[in-house]
Amino acid sequence: MSMKKIIGITGGALLALFSAQTALADETLKVGLSAPMSGAAAAWGLGFEYAAKQAVEKVNSEGGIKAGGKTYMLELHAYDNKYNAAEGAKTAQTMLNRENIKFIVGSIGTAPVRATQALSERQGVLLFNTGWGKSIKGPDYPLTFTQMNTPFEILGPFFGYIKGQHPDLKTVAMITPNDATGQEVEPVAIETWNSLDVEVVSTDRYERGTTEFQSIATKIANSNPDAVDFGASPPADVGSIMKALDVLGWDGIKVVAPGTSAGTLSQMAGQAAEGTYLGASADFQGDSASEAQRTLNEGAVKEVGESLNAITISSYDAVMALKKAIETADSIDPKKVAETLPTIIFESSYGPAAFGGKDVYGSPQQILIPVMITQVKDGKAVEVGRVAPEELKERLK
Amino acid sequence: MELQVQLLMNTLQIGSVYVLFALGLTLIFGVMKIVNFAHGTFFTAAALIVSSVMIWGVGTMGLSIWLSYILAFFLALAVVCLIGFIVYIFGFQHFLKDLNGSFILSIGLLLLLNGTYLILYGGVPRSIPTVVPGVVTFLGASLTLQRLLLMIVAAVITLGLYILVHRTKLGLSLRAVAEDQEAAMLQGIPFRRVALYGFLIGATLAACAGALMATVTPVTTVIGDDFLVKAFIIIIIGGLGSVVGAIIGGLLIALIESFGGYYFDPSTATLAMFVLVIVLLIVRPQGILGHAEK
Repeated sequence: MSMKKIIGITGGALLALFSAQTALADETLKVGLSAPMSGAAAAWGLGFEYAAKQAVEKVNSEGGIKAGGKTYMLELHAYDNKYNAAEGAKTAQTMLNRENIKFIVGSIGTAPVRATQALSERQGVLLFNTGWGKSIKGPDYPLTFTQMNTPFEILGPFFGYIKGQHPDLKTVAMITPNDATGQEVEPVAIETWNSLDVEVVSTDRYERGTTEFQSIATKIANSNPDAVDFGASPPADVGSIMKALDVLGWDGIKVVAPGTSAGTLSQMAGQAAEGTYLGASADFQGDSASEAQRTLNEGAVKEVGESLNAITISSYDAVMALKKAIETADSIDPKKVAETLPTIIFESSYGPAAFGGKDVYGSPQQILIPVMITQVKDGKAVEVGRVAPEELKERLK
Repeated sequence: MELQVQLLMNTLQIGSVYVLFALGLTLIFGVMKIVNFAHGTFFTAAALIVSSVMIWGVGTMGLSIWLSYILAFFLALAVVCLIGFIVYIFGFQHFLKDLNGSFILSIGLLLLLNGTYLILYGGVPRSIPTVVPGVVTFLGASLTLQRLLLMIVAAVITLGLYILVHRTKLGLSLRAVAEDQEAAMLQGIPFRRVALYGFLIGATLAACAGALMATVTPVTTVIGDDFLVKAFIIIIIGGLGSVVGAIIGGLLIALIESFGGYYFDPSTATLAMFVLVIVLLIVRPQGILGHAEK
């Protein structure tokens, strides 16, 4: 074989190899995200987007997702749903019809999630979401998965812990936004409080976007409950109500089940936020946090100015679940991936996690991760209790 | 008794800002015969400027909270006046007395300015340090000194506007143009210049409301939107273009919000406002103090 031939064959082989590698790396898988990035709940959306970006970068830097003999690099498309149904529908239209996205790795707010779901289920798109409504998942919505704990997972252990800490707690007043999230949380919360022999003395709803809370604070302070349950209210609203309650001299137990952003809460309410129990926050700086959570949290504080919490970190976990499910299914068909999700155990930011909850929802579409109970101390969320779901313990055996 | 006093105090606290904001909107409608859906963005701009200047003044420059706030307050008014001037010259000037044109223009402006604020300030709510710490008790009702100051300043500005409209030559021109533009022009009143003054006064009133509210509520880039909806209800109830009507409407809405929010819940109180508007539009479409269309 002449030298010319050898060079020619070697060159051709190298070119073919290079072309093949380029072709493999060129496959892009778009993933969507819909969350409030402006308004009272903006702290959630911005942290949510940050965590999703980190997960996408991690997946891509580790070689992407492999399925069907191809390698896919993720590309994140994030949109502001302003925490309402109209914007949720708009962002869904953009993701599904303009960007042709087949996997939504995070959506915040029951109302915008429902609006998104109306399209995603019909168009065969997999939807991860943080919606707190029970009716959002189940056999009728096979492509919808919840990526964080909801009232059905949180309220039992959360309220139980508070009652344990305050045995004299007998009455609670409840205030929650008048939207899908608030309306679905309220009955579950009332039932849970009642099961603990705590009477719910009043329940009030307000419209999102409200800026004046004096009348409701007056009503609560006048009924003088042992505790106030702020329902599904976002941090800025909770801060305003707490401030108004403080002025009126009420100083009882403050309970925020979706309580997440201790920083925003303390910034808004100052000293009045101290001692507040948070059900969806997390102490990602504390001893119980994983290495991944610590790193993510440090980055979020630098970039977003707020610690991560159970809501915001859930987009990271959704991306990790998606990667494992696609690779296990060996397909990027959303239906096959959805069928695979309940069968896998994946590495979430909390450690090994899975999807379950068939007993509660009728099908296994709920992420199984620990419930963390935190309390605001010196303006920061400090973990005071942690409960792992029994179903996850069984799966990990 | 204590409870009723507290609810009345709440009414005055809420109402004072509503009145200030709605006055600007009704003045602009009265003089220019346009509906400005971008009015809330003047409120938002002022609140955002106050929040950022306060953080800069207290945090970076080490100024006292008081000095920072006064600086922020007047800077906010100046910037909003400038925005108002630009918006008038390049936009509303060409749509005077044109309800359809001004509607489309103001909706476009609303989207443009809200988007700009979001890019500049981000979506995270901001809060500023307490300017006047402390709580006062009056007949058993509690009120922060900051809220009390807000009410006093709002009342002084409202009184100032009333005097301006009813006791000055500019006020006379504004009223004349609002009453009958052609007759006013025949008397030598420069309509376009008066319209500009009316627009700038309206924008400044919204800025005053925003700069005052920034001290007591979290500031977001859409904070003005909630006030805008309430302001429309207020001026429909009070009568489009009526200064006294806006004051009555503002206090009435605050009363419903305060007492309705207490005896029912805030959502029911909001619903009651809309029901009131519907009823009023049926029985007295021109509002309490508005003039019927000839």
